[in-house]
Amino acid sequence: MKKIGIALYAMATVALMIWGFYQAIYVAPDDALQGYIFRIIYYHVPSASVAFVFFAVSLLGSVGFLANRRGHTEWAQVADAWAVAGAEVGVVFCTVVLITGPIWGRRAWGIWWTWDARLTTTLVLWLIYVSYLLLRRFAAGPQVQTLAAVLGIFGALDVPIVYMSNRWWRTQHPAPVFGGDPGSGMKDPQMLQAFGWNMLAWFAWGIFILILRFNVERKHQQYAEEEAQEALAANI
Amino acid sequence: MDPATVLDHQFVVAAYTVTWVLQLGYLTWLGLKWRSEKRNAARRTDHSR
Repeated sequence: MKKIGIALYAMATVALMIWGFYQAIYVAPDDALQGYIFRIIYYHVPSASVAFVFFAVSLLGSVGFLANRRGHTEWAQVADAWAVAGAEVGVVFCTVVLITGPIWGRRAWGIWWTWDARLTTTLVLWLIYVSYLLLRRFAAGPQVQTLAAVLGIFGALDVPIVYMSNRWWRTQHPAPVFGGDPGSGMKDPQMLQAFGWNMLAWFAWGIFILILRFNVERKHQQYAEEEAQEALAANI
Repeated sequence: MDPATVLDHQFVVAAYTVTWVLQLGYLTWLGLKWRSEKRNAARRTDHSR
């Protein structure tokens, strides 16, 4: 039953991705100012949204781990698995944002990169979570999860700064398409439709790989736990 | 088609391709990691018997 559910979800996600791609390339019109290159937004913005939400998942997981690490160790391990899954999948989506953005910028601005507030804070966010993953990968000892949780919490503080950066400061990055000035927003219904489908598709895809990553981490934790129990039994 | 439109098209193709290479690459890596964890668990079960 579980396998059928997973297969159905995967099929629905693939269908959404294909539909989203079709909408972005063949249905949505060219932007009046930017022309064809505007279509990068249909992958760039949903990827940024998914990354932000998954870093929030990592934040909740990190807080859950710190809150439960002494009393409810099993809950703490589950929370930690969500924290690492959110951080890792978030980094994948943030990497997409940091690559597709400069590709768009090269055509729209004539440069690959500029140190404006939006781009710089996004790069800092990516670096914080990459360091989180490196810490988990290479550090050893009982405090690694705790240190990673603290770093995860501080990393998440950068998310609202990235989101607000082009509202607080004058940036070369375009003004917010949604939630900006009263006049902001997509006016063309076909553009809005393409954007909505791609947002849905990327969230469906993101949730799929987030849950897969969570399960991999839980399996790893169980294996490590069993190994530790065996080592303990051998010493007794 | 004018050269600017062709160039725009190439940049969009590059952006979409990079996105999918990253996403599918990560999915493949996750699949391999999942298989390795399952193998470890199976080896442990065999060992404890």
